[in-house]
Amino acid sequence: EKDESVASKDSTTEEASKRQEGTAETPKQKLLDIIGNMKVEVSYRKKLQQLKTREIKKQATDNLEGPDSEGTMLQRTTEQIQRGKPLNPELVEAASAVASSLPLNKKQTVSELLAQLRRHEETTDKQKKGGIVNIRNVISEMAVKRQSPAQRGVRISNRIFLDLDEDGQNIKPGRLSPQSFDSRRSLKVGRRLNIFTKASTETENALKTVSSPTIWDLEFAKEIAAITAQPPRNGFEEMIQWTKEGILWEFPVDNEAGMEDDAEFHEHIFLEKHLEDFPKQGPIRHFMELVICGLSKNPYLSVKQKIEHIEWFQKYFEEKKELLQGI
Amino acid sequence: MAASALGWALRAARQVLPSPCTRQVRSYYVDWRMLRDVKRRKLAYEYADERLRINAIRKNAILPKELQEVADKEIADLPRDSCPVRIRNRCVLTSRPRGVKRRWRLSRIVFRHFADHAQMSGIQRAMW
Repeated sequence: EKDESVASKDSTTEEASKRQEGTAETPKQKLLDIIGNMKVEVSYRKKLQQLKTREIKKQATDNLEGPDSEGTMLQRTTEQIQRGKPLNPELVEAASAVASSLPLNKKQTVSELLAQLRRHEETTDKQKKGGIVNIRNVISEMAVKRQSPAQRGVRISNRIFLDLDEDGQNIKPGRLSPQSFDSRRSLKVGRRLNIFTKASTETENALKTVSSPTIWDLEFAKEIAAITAQPPRNGFEEMIQWTKEGILWEFPVDNEAGMEDDAEFHEHIFLEKHLEDFPKQGPIRHFMELVICGLSKNPYLSVKQKIEHIEWFQKYFEEKKELLQGI
Repeated sequence: MAASALGWALRAARQVLPSPCTRQVRSYYVDWRMLRDVKRRKLAYEYADERLRINAIRKNAILPKELQEVADKEIADLPRDSCPVRIRNRCVLTSRPRGVKRRWRLSRIVFRHFADHAQMSGIQRAMW
């Protein structure tokens, strides 16, 4: 009675504050939806919080029985969100101003308001990104109460399937559910009829031990491919064919198509380990160090090509060894 | 089969281009000069690495000069068609050696012909 009036007053004042903040930022329609949503949530949350703080257990158990899971879900989400991104400082100031105007515990109201704001921001972000509606999560976690078999029809309508149709909307299968329900019951229940024998795994193994395809098989396969390859009916099929042949690139363009360099950057840059066979001193070493410096800056060669480059030089200098020793 | 035909082109400029496509393919080069240019490009591609490395030894202030003279002789011994300087960017369709735009690999006459028939994508007559 007094609690509820206070709760409603709180909700309206909060709405007003949020409206002031909201009009500054969001368009009108979104704002109206938000206010509509917030009205219900805020009143519930406030109610639960007050009941808990005053430790009126009987009332708490009676009131929490209905939106039990929802309430716990809401509290859990608020705790999670408090670690999220920081809120707009203007909003924080407004929240503190509102809290100071209310008769209740100020710190608590401020924290609750901020938590509510955070949750609101989170839901708007999710909706912007096109994420799943929170209600679905909530409902999916809700437990279905077991009722007597006489009320089977009611039970089916209570069960909410999460099958999405093309629009992503919830299908409420009024017609389909009884049939599926019956079939589900009949599939799993009952004695085994032993009509079908279990498929043996031996046949699978036998198929795998086929010899490598002969020339005749290859020719046959080529013939089939040539016959079944109809000329393209439209431009799209032509483009598909070209992509398969390699004439057309795959879109979106992959800059690294055909380039399969799995080597790490350090293998490209630190090439000194390949210089072990060279003499430590002398002009050759100097020359090879310059070569390595140039190779390390080259992004176009693969590591293999760079190693081949160095090995070629090694071979070359070994051939010219007698000449070099004469100098 | 295709490789052998490629290797020994004794007949008039006929090259079986090794491609799996089933469409109409040009099986002759436009003229002998174009064929020779093709050969030069292939050889230049094969010997590109070696030429680069031998030149790196030659154009050097660090290595002794005797080594560089030896390298000079070595690079002179490579086949003459392997140097990239002998490649001429000819028109792809007419084999014209002059007046070839690099971006399209076409001579100016062919380019104009196609552009006027609206067969060049993105090409328009200039007017300002």
